[in-house]
Amino acid sequence: MKKAQTEILGLAIVVVLVIIGTILVVKFGFTKSTNVRNDFTSSQEASNILNTFLKTSAPDCSQLTMTELLQDCAQGTGLVCSNGEDSCSFVKSAATAILSGTIGAEKKKYEFLACSNFNMKEIKCYDTPPLVEIGQSCPGQKKLKIFPIPINPGTIYVKLEICN
Amino acid sequence: MNNRKAQIQIFETIAVLVVFFMLLGIGFIFYTKVISSNIESDTAEISQSKSISIAQRVMFLPEIQCSEDSVPKENCIDTLKLDSAISVINKPENSLYYYDLFEFSDISIKEIYPSSGAAIQLYSKFTTDYKNKFQTNIPVALYDPKTKINKFGLISITTQTK
Repeated sequence: MKKAQTEILGLAIVVVLVIIGTILVVKFGFTKSTNVRNDFTSSQEASNILNTFLKTSAPDCSQLTMTELLQDCAQGTGLVCSNGEDSCSFVKSAATAILSGTIGAEKKKYEFLACSNFNMKEIKCYDTPPLVEIGQSCPGQKKLKIFPIPINPGTIYVKLEICN
Repeated sequence: MNNRKAQIQIFETIAVLVVFFMLLGIGFIFYTKVISSNIESDTAEISQSKSISIAQRVMFLPEIQCSEDSVPKENCIDTLKLDSAISVINKPENSLYYYDLFEFSDISIKEIYPSSGAAIQLYSKFTTDYKNKFQTNIPVALYDPKTKINKFGLISITTQTK
């Protein structure tokens, strides 16, 4: 190959590399994230659902709120609702109905957990089995809300985790 | 011989100019694409922000928000107020006022628990000439002040932006 031909080949390679570089810059550098709405809704979702759920009254349990039922479940006072369920199973069935109608309807996975012994670092129950457990922990990115509920003695923690 | 050399040089200059203008054209196309994609993403962001602000206006709408001793409660809808609000919002003389608040959107409230009923429509104004459509679902407590019972509900807000 002559010297001139080699130089042209080198120039062509440089041009190809410049074009590839430009395409990559355009693809990843200039595209801004426009998911403002998703960021807003997902950050609010777990918190709103859990807050509202804990305030919800139970029609078959003397209109007690879910917070009161969870307190009863942890303290084991033996409350039986008019449909025959105890407080723990009632909270579980209510949470299943609500979460499947909200997060489940959007085809998202979730975990709902209520524990009397809660490890804040690992975000899971320890020593004793959970009072209520629905779904499985998210392996990847997630939005979560932990809500403490005072009982006598101690505190129970309710966690809602929504997988991204 | 000299004539031939001059011709080759002219061709060389023309080739260089052609390549230069081709590169200039490619650069201009690239620049236009980048600018138009930026404009598109900015427009999408503005539309999304608009949809968020409409959702927030609904969440804090005094016509339906629960209050206790004149203190408004967050994420709570008073079901007694809701009945009156529907008739007030849908009155023709109030349509302009509520259009300023909600623009082209559909707002409906649905009970999820204890019973899953049909959605109640609070406001609805649609256009066929829209660019983006977003749906936002916000969980709320549906509070009945007569019985003091809280039900679990969902506000569904569909916004159309141009």
